[in-house]
Amino acid sequence: MIAEKEEILPGIFRFEFEVSEGFLRKAEPGRFVQVEVSSGPFPVTRRPFTISSRSTDSIEIIFEVVGRGTKTLAETDEGQSLRMLGPLGHGYKLNSGEWLLIGGGLGAAGFPGLAASIDCGLMILGAATKNRLLTIDGIKTRAITEDGSSGMKGLVTDLLKTVLWDSFSNIALCGPIAMMKAVIEMMPVESRTVTQVSAEARMGCGWGACEGCSIPGADGGYLKCCTDGPVLPALAVNWDLWEGIHR
Amino acid sequence: MRYYWELWGRRFDSPIILASGTAGFGLELMEQNNLHGAAAVVSKATTLKPTPGNPPPRIVETKFGLLNSIGLANPGVDEIVKTILPEADSLPIPLIVNVAGETVEEFPAVIEKLERSPVPFGYEVNVSCPNVAAGGMVFGASPSTVEEIARLVNSVTSRPFSVKLTPNEGSITEAAQAAETGGADSVTVCNTFLGMKMNWRTGRAPLKRKVGGYSSPALLPLTVARVYKTCEAVDIPVLASGGVSCPEDVLELLAAGAVMVQVGTWLMRRPDAAGELREGVVRLLESDSQ
Repeated sequence: MIAEKEEILPGIFRFEFEVSEGFLRKAEPGRFVQVEVSSGPFPVTRRPFTISSRSTDSIEIIFEVVGRGTKTLAETDEGQSLRMLGPLGHGYKLNSGEWLLIGGGLGAAGFPGLAASIDCGLMILGAATKNRLLTIDGIKTRAITEDGSSGMKGLVTDLLKTVLWDSFSNIALCGPIAMMKAVIEMMPVESRTVTQVSAEARMGCGWGACEGCSIPGADGGYLKCCTDGPVLPALAVNWDLWEGIHR
Repeated sequence: MRYYWELWGRRFDSPIILASGTAGFGLELMEQNNLHGAAAVVSKATTLKPTPGNPPPRIVETKFGLLNSIGLANPGVDEIVKTILPEADSLPIPLIVNVAGETVEEFPAVIEKLERSPVPFGYEVNVSCPNVAAGGMVFGASPSTVEEIARLVNSVTSRPFSVKLTPNEGSITEAAQAAETGGADSVTVCNTFLGMKMNWRTGRAPLKRKVGGYSSPALLPLTVARVYKTCEAVDIPVLASGGVSCPEDVLELLAAGAVMVQVGTWLMRRPDAAGELREGVVRLLESDSQ
């Protein structure tokens, strides 16, 4: 059931879903849910959303309206019940040591729950503009926007030029593919080995059967975003092929 | 009252079969406890050599349905016989292994290897894939090729098999008759329809392979018509596949002459679809008989 709904930025929504205790226990950072956004037959497939955070009786998702599925969900009222599968997939390996979180746009949607479960030293967030920049309370954050409407003007990679990479023993990275690739390329090699990326793909089933959500793997072949991921070691991905999928 | 449906000499308490490509080898669904209500599961395609599948994006949703171009991704028959089928032995329902090939000869070659496993209940032969030797025309477009494949398959197995026909090229009824003549135990009617989406702003197709297979609840009447016409053309059983999203759809396909009904795309949305559909079918039949 949708316990609470809020448009936190224009076209960006935060939904709180009341869920069972068993569901909550498995709602670890980085895992996702598949939501049946429509009671009618279309859209046919569910829509995947990363779990942003969990409380004592609910989980939160944050999403931007980008197409019919997210539009339908955004139009759903508080108090309505929706079919939800999950929690699905593999989340972050919650290693000890200090973490650096790097998010591009809505890529930061999964960070609140992650930050609450780890030792988060710094969060770096980038977005096109102020209206696309998520704010996450209680965590040391540096922000940058492409138009300079909030924080510095520029790209996430500009902010990262001053980061002391070796002071972080873990890195979480989530955002558009090109942004993640650029970030990985500017990191020292040792940092790449401790970087976990939260991947996104168009998804069919979400539970490993249909192979619709493939991501090119570093060892050849493909990884399933839904069951091998969505959180993957940065080095498990073939970034050149992945960046090229929408060309 | 108890209801039964029959396939290949075996009785089932459900008319629902899980369609190829949407249930893996049934193992994920078994783990989720979602196989109840299904009579059998059809595996994803098994090919002679390992097949990585098509480059992504592999799926895209359209206004009224789903396009996929997975590309028969599978680890190849040797690996499947070695590691997956032994696991599938614990499935609570029979496994029908779907087989695909690039040449006519590959179909019996794959099945000969599968024969070493005690697990398959039967086979589904996918003649919707392109025949490399015939310049990429799909096998199912040519009745003589369908008959040849059915004969070759029949010569290497005593297990029952269904030929899964294509709606995209050639005549389904002629292909069904050819499968029957070649010794097929049933035909599956049918497969996804060739489709494409274009982004008119960019001039690009969202699928990397541009075209894909279209599936949708909206396809139901197309399947009903093809099942009905195929049933008139052959004496072997017809398995319906395409467009099922509710119990009424299942009953409609059975009324058109199908012996069993497959559910695919809807299973991706509802992994517990088989149970829901079976329960709904039985409820409708019971209320109708009162």
